[in-house]
Amino acid sequence: MSRYLSLLALWVLGATAPLQAGVGEAAYERGDFVGALQTWRAQAEADGVTAELLSAIGNAEWKLGHKGRAMVCWERALLLSPRDPVAQAGIKHAQGAGGTDRPTQTWSENYAAFLGADLWLILGALGFWGTLLAVLVPKLRRQPMGDWTQRILITSATLFALSIPGLYGAYTLASRAVVRRTEVAVKLTPTVLGEALNGTAEGDVVRTGRKLNGHTYVTSADGKGGWMKSTELEPIWGGALPANLDQPQAP
Amino acid sequence: MRTCFVILACFVATSLVRAENHVTWEITPPVCGPGQPFRLQVRIESDDALGPANQVGREIKPPRGMALRFSGQVFRANATEATLNFSGVAPEEEGTYILPAFNARFPSQMVLVPAINLLVSNKTGYRKEGRARAELVLPERTFYVGEKIAGSVVMRGSEQETVTGTFGLECEAEGFTFQTEGSSFTQPLQDGHGLMKPFDLTPIRAGQGEFNLSGIMLVNTGDRISSLNTYGRDRPFNFRRKLTVEHVPETGRPADWGGSIGKLEVTPPDLSNRFPEVGEPIKLKLTLVGEGNLERIIAPEIPGTDTWDIALASELRQRRSEGRRTFIYTLVPRLPGDLKTPAVRFPTFNPDSKKFEAVEFVSIAVKVSGNAPAKVELVTIDPSAKLGTPAAKTITGLLTPTVAAGVKGVSKIEPLAASQPFWLSNSAALVALLLTTAVISVVGYFAAHPEFLIRRQARGNLRRARTAAQDALHRQDYAAYARAMTQGLRAGTAPLLNAEPLALTQSDILRALPTASPTLIEAVFLAAAGEKYGAKDARQTIAEDAQLQAMLNTLEAQL
Repeated sequence: MSRYLSLLALWVLGATAPLQAGVGEAAYERGDFVGALQTWRAQAEADGVTAELLSAIGNAEWKLGHKGRAMVCWERALLLSPRDPVAQAGIKHAQGAGGTDRPTQTWSENYAAFLGADLWLILGALGFWGTLLAVLVPKLRRQPMGDWTQRILITSATLFALSIPGLYGAYTLASRAVVRRTEVAVKLTPTVLGEALNGTAEGDVVRTGRKLNGHTYVTSADGKGGWMKSTELEPIWGGALPANLDQPQAP
Repeated sequence: MRTCFVILACFVATSLVRAENHVTWEITPPVCGPGQPFRLQVRIESDDALGPANQVGREIKPPRGMALRFSGQVFRANATEATLNFSGVAPEEEGTYILPAFNARFPSQMVLVPAINLLVSNKTGYRKEGRARAELVLPERTFYVGEKIAGSVVMRGSEQETVTGTFGLECEAEGFTFQTEGSSFTQPLQDGHGLMKPFDLTPIRAGQGEFNLSGIMLVNTGDRISSLNTYGRDRPFNFRRKLTVEHVPETGRPADWGGSIGKLEVTPPDLSNRFPEVGEPIKLKLTLVGEGNLERIIAPEIPGTDTWDIALASELRQRRSEGRRTFIYTLVPRLPGDLKTPAVRFPTFNPDSKKFEAVEFVSIAVKVSGNAPAKVELVTIDPSAKLGTPAAKTITGLLTPTVAAGVKGVSKIEPLAASQPFWLSNSAALVALLLTTAVISVVGYFAAHPEFLIRRQARGNLRRARTAAQDALHRQDYAAYARAMTQGLRAGTAPLLNAEPLALTQSDILRALPTASPTLIEAVFLAAAGEKYGAKDARQTIAEDAQLQAMLNTLEAQL
């Protein structure tokens, strides 16, 4: 019985220890980035990721030299919170001192980044349904539009019209990926032995297009297009912590 | 008189000064293999004009086992330097051989050439005979991701087969990047019997990978002296090796490590101005040299201090072969006085010792003139701050993160647009709304126009009555025929007159069919209900079937 109790106590301690507040920050402050990273990763696996957590993990990954992972974390943090200061500073720092490239955002992407993709979609859906119902309901009831119905119609139609560039910007923002390998060649054709056009470095952000033969069509920050192996990229959407791309050990 | 003596003494002194000679020599290759031909070049510089040397071959006495002959000299008239060339063959035994000192006799003077040492060693790789072969030179150790591994292909020839070039170098290595200085860049080996093709290999992922390198070397076979007997051929080579790659260990990794792997050294920092004024920007140039992945290093961050504002200005990126990397910082002095530039510590990972090491750029003393500004915004110390208040942090670089504990996050960052339930529910709601709208519109339309349904119903009744009349006609049931026809006429007339069918009489039918025969309609109605009133035989009515059918058709067309 005592054995079970001690095991239970160990499990409780093990489960709660990494989640103590400030443990990761303290480790980060004293330069123990490995410790900070382990703490924050455990927290992310237990509670899920937040913008703050992803930004912090991005900082620690950057300090450990993992440029690709750091950029993935910061970009994802900005998806959750478009104005997260730590992630914004991290990306700015990576572009300046780190030398990573990131496509310049278009006006629609800047517009979309103001609220975030999900909020734009919710607003767009509300606008659409409001407009549709405001038009249909009076017709079905065979009554003329009242004052309130007209107000709802104008508000909903305006909301819907304003959400369209936001939705487009969110779509183009979502079509981006981070280069996870060092010195990846952008090729002319989607083939293994395709002619290399130019190179990208780990941590560079590229716009992604269609996929073919295990490759993805990418456009780099300087506007040059080409094909890149899909396994060498990590999309910004669709994950939480950066994927582990290390080669498995040979048997 | 005294002046004359001084001038005379000067003349005598200059004539008595002996000309000073400077003798240097060079053996190619510096270390010879047993039996390897070599070349000796003796250079003589003198204060006097030298001219041609005489009988040099007779003066020199080579040691036992060594063949040496005077092969020529290079001199110019009235020149103070001369070059003597010798060709020789090293002895077959290893060791150090001393070529005794000898005299070189020039027309104006005799110059003593000191003893010359020749080293003969088996380790040079020189081969007198044998086929040309290629060797892969790559360190045998665990490599690290991001490291620049300097490797080379050494193509060794022999007296019979000499390597003159290489082409088509190809590398297939998953998980590595492979770079060379250029397809035609090669270095000759010291013994002159081969070439070396250097390359750089950089692992980009951890794990065990296979390195496969292939290429072709150009081999000249035959007599080296007589070009008539020489012919060339291509000889391919291929190397395959398993390489183990790991990440740089995270334990013991310094916080300011910027990804450098290798053996690096610092050069003395270079400052553009050591006497600036307050607020005048000066450039601090820090250059790293050595073997390592210099081009991959992230520029070190130098935080500002109370006395300096510091920003990374630019980088000088050299070619891969230059083996140096320069970072340039802009320093702006904030206060006057004798200051020192900050010392910059630069950690690097040594792959041989598998430990992190650090090199440091030393401080440089700077004398800053001018006056301090009225208010200096101190970075670390704020005089107006209360005691115990933490210092303000710099805004440059990464911000210190804060993570709230216990906040529930998401397990996967996916856009709402990728949610299937979202689109399914919205689509279903849209379809339901459109269907409802359509149904309500149709129902409402028919409710507003009931005549469509009434006429449609009348058409159906009329057709059924016609069918019943045809059946009765086949059965020769004349009364039933007349009833069915009457029913059909009433059903077809009722919607036109907006009346109930059973309430219609012959005159009502005539209102709907003004051109119809009243007699025939009368007869049909009588035949239909005549049994009760003793009417004539209905058989007569059947004879007018065509007219009655025409009436029904006319009514049906009006509906």
